This record gives sequence, structure tokens and C-alpha cells, in this order.
Amino acid sequence: MDGIELEILWSNLISIVSEQAKALQRIAFSPIVREAGDLATAVFDAEGRMIAQAVTGTPGHINSLAAAGRHFAEIYPPAALEPGDVLVTNDPWKSAGHFFDITVYTPVFRKGRVIAFFGSTIHHTDIGGYGVGAGARDIHEEGLWIPIAKLYEHGQKNRLLHDIIRHNVRTPDHVFGDLAAQGSSGRMGGDRLNTLCDRHGLDHVDRLAEEIIARSEAATRASIRNLRPGTFHGACTFDVPGGDLVTLKSAVTIDNRAGEIVIDFAGSSGPSPYGINVVMNYTHAYSTFAIRSCLDPDLPNNFGSLAPIKVTAPKGCILNCEYPVPVNARHVVGMYVPMPILKALYHVMPENVLAEGAGAVWTIQINGKDESGRPFTSSMFNYSGGMGARATKDGPAATCYPTGIAAVPIEVLEASMPIEFTRKELRPNSGGAGRALGGDGQTISFHMRTREPWLLNAVTSRTACAAEGLGGGADGAPGRFTVNGCKVSEARKMVMQPQDEVMLETPGGGGYGAPDAGLIRSVAE
Amino acid sequence: MTGFSLAVDIGGTFTDVVLRHRDGRCYVDKTLTTHGDLLEGFFRAVDLGLRRASIGPADVDDVIVHATTLVTNAVIERKGPPIGLVVTEGFRDVLAIRDEHRYDMFDPQIEFPAPLVARERIFPLAERTLADASVAKSPDDGALAALAEAVQRQGIRALAVSLLNSYRNPANERAVKRRLAELAPGLYVSLSSEVAPQIREYPRTSTTVLNAYTQPITAPYLKALAEQLVRRGFRNQPLIMLSNGGVIGVDVASRFPVRMIESGPAAGALAASYFAELMGLDRLLSFDMGGTTAKACMIQERRPLVTGLLEVDRKYRFKPGSGFPVIIPSIDMIEIGAGGGSIAGVDSLGLLKVGPRSAGSEPGPVCYGRGGTEPTVTDADVALGLIDPDRFLGGDMKLDRAAAMRALAGLAAKLGIGTEQTALGIFKIVGESMASAARAHATDRGIDYRGLPLLAFGGAGPVHAGYVAELLDSSAVIYPPLASVLSAFGTLVTPARLDLVRGALARLGGMDWADIGRLYDEMEAEGTAALVGAGTPADRVAFEFGADMRYFGQQNEVSVGLPGDPRLARDATALRETFERAYEAQYGLRLPDVDVEVVTWRLVARGPAIPARPSSLATAAPAKPKGRRRVLFSDRPSEVPVYDRPAIAPAQIIDGPAIIEERETTIVIPDGWRATVEANGTIVSRRRG
Repeated sequence: MDGIELEILWSNLISIVSEQAKALQRIAFSPIVREAGDLATAVFDAEGRMIAQAVTGTPGHINSLAAAGRHFAEIYPPAALEPGDVLVTNDPWKSAGHFFDITVYTPVFRKGRVIAFFGSTIHHTDIGGYGVGAGARDIHEEGLWIPIAKLYEHGQKNRLLHDIIRHNVRTPDHVFGDLAAQGSSGRMGGDRLNTLCDRHGLDHVDRLAEEIIARSEAATRASIRNLRPGTFHGACTFDVPGGDLVTLKSAVTIDNRAGEIVIDFAGSSGPSPYGINVVMNYTHAYSTFAIRSCLDPDLPNNFGSLAPIKVTAPKGCILNCEYPVPVNARHVVGMYVPMPILKALYHVMPENVLAEGAGAVWTIQINGKDESGRPFTSSMFNYSGGMGARATKDGPAATCYPTGIAAVPIEVLEASMPIEFTRKELRPNSGGAGRALGGDGQTISFHMRTREPWLLNAVTSRTACAAEGLGGGADGAPGRFTVNGCKVSEARKMVMQPQDEVMLETPGGGGYGAPDAGLIRSVAE
Repeated sequence: MTGFSLAVDIGGTFTDVVLRHRDGRCYVDKTLTTHGDLLEGFFRAVDLGLRRASIGPADVDDVIVHATTLVTNAVIERKGPPIGLVVTEGFRDVLAIRDEHRYDMFDPQIEFPAPLVARERIFPLAERTLADASVAKSPDDGALAALAEAVQRQGIRALAVSLLNSYRNPANERAVKRRLAELAPGLYVSLSSEVAPQIREYPRTSTTVLNAYTQPITAPYLKALAEQLVRRGFRNQPLIMLSNGGVIGVDVASRFPVRMIESGPAAGALAASYFAELMGLDRLLSFDMGGTTAKACMIQERRPLVTGLLEVDRKYRFKPGSGFPVIIPSIDMIEIGAGGGSIAGVDSLGLLKVGPRSAGSEPGPVCYGRGGTEPTVTDADVALGLIDPDRFLGGDMKLDRAAAMRALAGLAAKLGIGTEQTALGIFKIVGESMASAARAHATDRGIDYRGLPLLAFGGAGPVHAGYVAELLDSSAVIYPPLASVLSAFGTLVTPARLDLVRGALARLGGMDWADIGRLYDEMEAEGTAALVGAGTPADRVAFEFGADMRYFGQQNEVSVGLPGDPRLARDATALRETFERAYEAQYGLRLPDVDVEVVTWRLVARGPAIPARPSSLATAAPAKPKGRRRVLFSDRPSEVPVYDRPAIAPAQIIDGPAIIEERETTIVIPDGWRATVEANGTIVSRRRG
């Protein structure tokens, strides 16, 4: 296939999955999907290898979805599928690492055979069990576990599975609304792929998939071959809700002959009693993400480009957790995964990495009763701290890396529940000093308009250990979580009094490089 | 001789003028835009036009319409004076925090635009309105006096006021404006509750700030324009083209300059809907391809689609998310980085990529011979024989085909294929990316694009439209006359129009119809006043009703037109049905168990439509081809006839493959298509049966 034909077909594939993502994002009930883009869509070849992904989404979802294809193929190989079948799972170890993320996987038939699959993962509004937060004691308390199953068979609902879901979630209308949206977007993707095949006279996309995977793998290996070989180390320590410290250690080995990178997390912390444990899929997702964004953000992301990057972690450690540890708030640790890798890569490509940032976004969820006594349950909402500084650019304030999800507007939250914000402003100088400055965190405070006690579920991190500066840059300020001015660190839901004022001060990012005299002068001018 | 209307469109490079007589005759000209003083170029163009028509200012007794890039340029070039922003105390950094979104997940080097207001000019005010519209605290007089004092001390000329929940209740914002009018007379004040009264504090504040930023430039400009027109003996006040595809008087435009962003492209879309009307087509896709980008717009029911959100000044690699959000009604356009100057290259995977990098007009494509070294789309077009190097701009500019071939040969070597094959690849990939963008745009809006005719204009549009039409299964491609001044022409066929919105969350399960009635009464009064100001008699103002709705619990709305006045109907069931029909069309499902809520109410006030009145060509004998040349359309080259557009007679039939040349562009009719010339001067190419 020449570089013209391939470009035309490939860019068409990407636009199909991107459209699928856009449609899903628009109709999702889950605010974190709509406002924050917490979703992924991708197309897979008949063997379950991801060949193209949407340009939206979060790294945790995208790269976890890539791994899910293989698991679906093991249980339902193409021969076991018929037109109108739709597969589903939320198995943390086989998809995106916690029950809230449901993956729907739709085969595409052409002339009687499966030629591809369209997959999507989105964060649902509810999955029963403990709800949002890290407080469940084991995985079973965290909600409904859906093994790999058929959601639809020959176009008919799988009645039993639908009934099980309906009886085990708190907002079945929204869950089914979002599942239906995932199903219809998969169907739409299939139709579009068939039209593409019609237009180009193709019976299948096997050759196209082969070509995409081979070229992506070769390009990734070629750019790794340009790097300095060796094993480089990085570590990152941060505190999690409840006050425990977690350390992630990475040894990044660059093999410039094979064009491979191996990341080994040996020496990282053991499992946590709270739901912040990370499955291997999710660790892999954020590791490959970190490598790719430094290596060349314009490289494609698919089975081929992911192949030369290998990730290992000792069985049972916090980054390769095993049944039955709780995993619900796995993003709290997962979003720190890139940091030790970036610190290792600082020794190889200092101009492409960034200093440690605030890490995970802080997430909040509230239950209570409004002034007239009607109960409400908020959706999960989130706030970012500052991003770490780049080699030549300051870190953006109130912006998260590695994810980059948006915050729900204050007015939207105030219109949907009895909350009243009193502050949402930057924390000046919370970003670390340096040749380039770390991004500032922000201060958010609020209280509820209620007459009764209410429940607060706030998942914070980095309130004791600051984001480290890089290459002589200063650390950012750690975060602070207070209720009526008193510091709190709590992994479980907290019972709050009607008048309580909550204040969240998110951490600042680390600075990059020692501030030099020239720079200070130019600031003074 | 009276009976003329006048249009002037100031673009980045040219200022275009169109004088149109009631009988349909048009006189057009263009001159270079004078960036130092735009009015200089405005009147130079007007003088050229008057001379062509052999008339004087007093003969222009119909409308005078103006579209301009002034507002957009003021933002992009940061030309505005220092402005201030008043926010609710505790929320000073709403601009710097944005929505916290990192718009490109994979690129850690991304940048955000610096806010248009410095932090020291953002003034927190102790006040608060709650989400239920109740005022928890009104601003006290001492605070307002201190604010006025600070504004004057800092030499601030324009002030944006954007307070929390003001979309629900504007009382506190109005109190600020009232007091400042007394304490700081002459200060421009933009209230978010007037500029963009919609929920979501960041986009509302961003829009209001852009309005404040451009007002001290726009208001004096429009005033000077109106005065100079009078002084020169013109009879009418000018109308200003807005981005919603309507025109309005200078008073309203001066208060809301942010609504003038994209007024030029909006006028192009209006021209497209005029031709839809003229040709009796309900729907078409306008396709405007220039030097750096291509723009497309869906015309539905003979009108361009309108959207509520756009973004200006994308800072970082033109990426969506890197600019300022603006929530004003504007023509819904797709813009992609694929124009004549787009550069082709081979990436690290061995794929041929075209754009978004562009050689622009300086140095321009390699064949311009001005120092460009990387092959572009225009170079490919020249290599394929689609563009005649000796007749570019009527022969005023000679193109260097040999240089284009050399640059393409370098690319061909990297791909391991022939030079002409490479040029054909560039041609195809540009067409594919436009077609993909159009499909995505259509699908996103629940529109079936198949069979939709294209209307092609812009320097490169007619060269590429034929191929794009093949990819989109279009039934026809329309090549309008006056293609080089189509935006200016579009302003003359644009009715007066003002779009109004009010944010007020309301569940269909429990509607407060009295409240909704109040909002619509307010909007109706504002719309009527604005249209009367634009010369529409009050009894000719027509209203269209709309609402942005969603299922309760969703975060994003679907904008729907309502069949009638919701104040009279008071029918929640009908609202639900209207919403669900639109929702199902876009997303293929309904959710019968979920309540529906209205987030924003909309009202469009519009003046009478301007009827399509074609000019007609004199009949003449069918023209013969002026020559033949070798062209590579598909995988095999062919000798094709070349025609001169002005020589072609009405009803003449030209079968593809063929080339029709005009001064500013070249029409390429592919094999399998047949072009005919309509009496109104339009060329229409249809698939041969």
C-alpha cells in the first residue's frame, strides 16, 4: 500500500472513531464524560488489535481500551459472534481498572464475516455498591461486576443481564441511556466503516490493519533508536487520602538496538487498604502515555506503536494489584505513574519532559438533603492543581497532567444541587520557582444550603509531599484540605454539619531549572 | 440613476465593493485593505465602485451594508486598550483558570492564550446572586465608588462586568452599570447579562471581555463611518453584518462588537443561501477554499446553520481549545487547514500529509517564484495541468511549473512513486480531508450529506470542488458568478436579524410559564427596537422561537427551533416532542423515562427576506474551446478542452473532462459530469446519467 492510499484510508478511520467519540460525549449523562471528556473510542481489527483511536479521551481510558480487545477476543473469538451481537464488560483487570468504566465492544460484519470491532469506554454515573470514593474494603463492596458478556444478542437485549444491571445500580435510567449511546455509536462506526469499504472496493480491512500496525511499530522503534541507551531511574513519593505515603519507582531501560523501552516498577509500594490500587492495564496505559508524549506526541497510538514499550511491576504491588483489593479511586495513584518515568527520561531528553505536577485531580461527591428536605446525590466533580514546569515554558495553572479533564462550571453545579461556592481562585506563588515556574494551584471553598447533616466524599492527594522541582527548580506548595479551618485527611466519606465550610487548596507544580540572574532581571524590568 | 445598494467587505488582504441595482445588475471592484485606517480603503473601494457604475453617492438610495475583519484583527493583534473586569468576590481568576481543560492530552508543551485583562485590572466585588435567581447580597455604594475611582485612576476605557449567576438575574450587574454611568461617565461598560446571558461562567465572561476589549475600537470606527457617509452625500445609515448571518444598525453593533466576529465568512454563507433560493434548492453545502484554509457551511431550508459557540485566536498550532471561547450565535462553519498554500510533506511513517502548515501568500507556493521551496496544493494543481501557469490571475502573474515539478520530485523520491502520481496524491488527500470534515460536521448535526449539491467559490474552491463532490456523492456543483467578491455580495442579500438568548433552567415537569413569558417579552422588545433601528418597520419584524434542551442529568444541550410562540402554546408536551424528534435525529434514540429540561431560551428577530432577483446574461452563440491541454485527473492523463468563462453562452453544455477558466480561479469539470450555464450566469455541473 503506498503512502497516499494508506493516508487516505487511515485518516478516514481516525475520523470515524473521532466522530463516534464526539457523539458519545455529547449525549452522555455522566457529567465527567461530557464536561471532562472522560471516555475513549477506538477501532480494532478482526483479531482485537487496536488500529485507530479518537483524538479525544483520557490516557487511562484509551490505552486500557487497547488492552481490552485481546480479552474480548479470548472469550468471544469472531467465529462465536453474529450480526447484532454487542459485547460488554467492566472487569477492572480486563478493561479500565474500576467498575464505573463500562466498555462496550461491537463487531462489524461485512459479507458474513467480522472485519473489525468498535469499542468505547465511558465513566458511568453509578455502578451500585460503595459509590464514588476510596472507602470500600474490597472490590465486592465497590459495586456490580460485569464479566465479559453479550449485552445484545442478534440485536435483542440480553434480558437477564439488563435486569441484573437495573437491580444493582442507583440510576438505571442514566446507565441504560449511556449504554444505549455506546451501542448506537458502535453501530454508527460499523456503518461508516462499511461505507468506507464500499467506496474503496475493500472486502475487509486486514491489509490496512497490517500496514498501520507495521508502520506505527517501525516508526516508534526508529525514534527510540535515536535515544541514548541505558537504564535510568526515577522515583516519586506522594501522600494519599488517609495520610499514607506511596512511592513509585521506575527503572526505564532504553534498548536502542531493538528500539525498545522497558519500564520496571520494582521497588514501588505494596497494596493499599483503600480503593486506590491500580490494575496492570491502567499502569500500562499511563506508562506508555508518558513515553509517547515525550518521544513524539505526533506518533499514532495503536497496537503497533504500543508494542515496543514494555511495562512490568511486581505482582501484588500497588501498580499491579490483585483480587480482591479495592480499586475504585485508582486514578489517585494511577495519575502519578508518569512522574517517575519523566524523572528517569530527564537524563535522556531533558527538553521534552516536565517537572512533577499536582498529580491526580481532586474529586468530590456530595449526598444530602436540600432546604426543603428533598434528598440529592451529586455527580462526581473535580479540580486540578498546577502542572509542572516545562524546560522553556511555565507550567499552566489549575491544569492537570497526565489527564487534562475539565472542571464542571460553578454555575452548573449550583444549579444542580444546593451548594454555594464562596471562592475559586488561584493560589499565587504555589507553583515552584525556577527558570520556568511551576503552575499555581487553586483555592476552592463552599458550603451547603441545607438544614441536615450531609455526606462529603473528597479524594485529595499531595497534601503533605509537594511536587518536586526538576533540574534545580523549587518544589511547588503541597495542597491543603480543611473543614472550618481544620486540616483533614480522610479516605472515607465524612459526615458534615449543615454550617460546615469546606476549603480545598490544590497543590502547585514543581519548577524547572535553577532561576538564573538574567531571568530575574528581565522580570524586574 | 437611483435604485442602488452598496456593499463593502473588508478582508485581511482585499477590500471588496459591490454596487447592485434593483434590476439585478452588479458592479464590482476590489482594492488592497488599508490596515492603518480601514476607512481609507473602504472609501477607495466605494469610489472605484461608483466610477464603474457611473453613479454618485446620492444614487445609492437602498441599503449600505458593511462586513469587516476589524473586530477579529483587534483581538488577534491585541490592539485593544487596557480594559478592566468586575467579578464576584472570591472568583478573581475565572479567566486564568478557564475550564481547567488541557485540550491536547498527548502534547505536554501546549500553551494557553494570556487573558485579555491583567490580574491587577480584575476587580472583585462583594455581591452575590444565587442559582435560584435570589440576590443574597447587593453591591454596596462604597464598593462601587471605590471601583469607579480605581477604574479612572488606572486609565481604563472599557469595563466588562461578569457576576456569578447573572444569567438568572441581572439586577446586580445593572446596578454596577447604573452607578458607574454616574461616577465614571464615558466609560464603556459591557454586562455579561446583556452580551451573553447563558449559564457557565467561563465562556460567558470570556465573551463579555472580548466585547469590552473591542468596543473602544469598534464604536468610534462605526461612528466615523456613519459620519463620513453622510458627509459624502450618501442618504442612508450603514448596516453592519453580524456573524449570525444578519445585518443590524450601528447602534446595536457598537454595543455588541463581539457579534461582528466572523462577519465576512458569514456573508459568504448568506450568499450561498441566496443561490440556494435562486436555484430552487432547499439544501446545499457551501465550499470556500482560499490560500490557507477551506471553509464549508451547511445550508438547510435555504438558510445557513447557526451555532452558539465559536472560538477566536487559536494560539497553539491552530488547535481547538487553544483560543478564547465566544458564545454568540454565528454561522456554523467548518474550517480546515487545507488551502492552495498548504504544504505537502512525508511524515515519519512514510505517509503523504497535506497541511495544516501553509506557505500563505508569502513566500507562497513554489510556483510563485518568491522563495517558497516546499511543494503546496497549488504546485500540485499546476503540475496536474489544472491551473494554467500562464493565465493565473488573467496572466498578470506567471507561475513557474518547472520549479513546482522539481519540488514535487523531491517528495516523490521519498514516497518511491512518480512526480505526477505525487501531485495527484496531494490533490486527492486535500479533497479527502475536506470531505471527511464535511461528513463529520453533517453527522454531528444529524444531517444526511449524501446528494447535497456543493456551491464552490474562493480562489481554490472551483479547482477542487468537483473531486470533493465525487467523494460526498453530491448531485451537483454550482459555480456562482461574482465568486471573487461573493462575501460582499452576500451582505446585500442578508435580512436584518438579531439573535437573543436568556438562560433559565426549567424542567418540563414543572414550568413557570409566567417567568418564561417575562423573558420572551424582554427579548421581543429588545429585538424589535434593534430591527427598527436597522430600518425594518415594526410590523414587518418576524420572530422565530428556539430553545436549548437536554434530558435532565445530561450536561450538553440540543438547540431546537420551536414550531410557535411558547408563551401562547404553554405546552410542555409539545416542547418535549420537538426536543425528542431532534435528539433522535442526531443520536438515534429517545429516553422516554427521563424528564427534559430547557437550559436556554432563544428568540430570533428578523426583517423581511430579500427576494432572489437574478441578473440575466445576453444570449449568444455557444463558445468553442479556446484550446486544449494535457491534464491528469485520475490515474490516466487526458487532453481536455479549455473554455473562457465570460465567453460561454447560456444553456451551453460542456461535458467533462473540461476546464473553464476565469480571472481569479479555474473550474475543473471531472469526467462523468456535465456543466450547463444558467440564464443567471451560474454554471451548474451535474453527474451524467
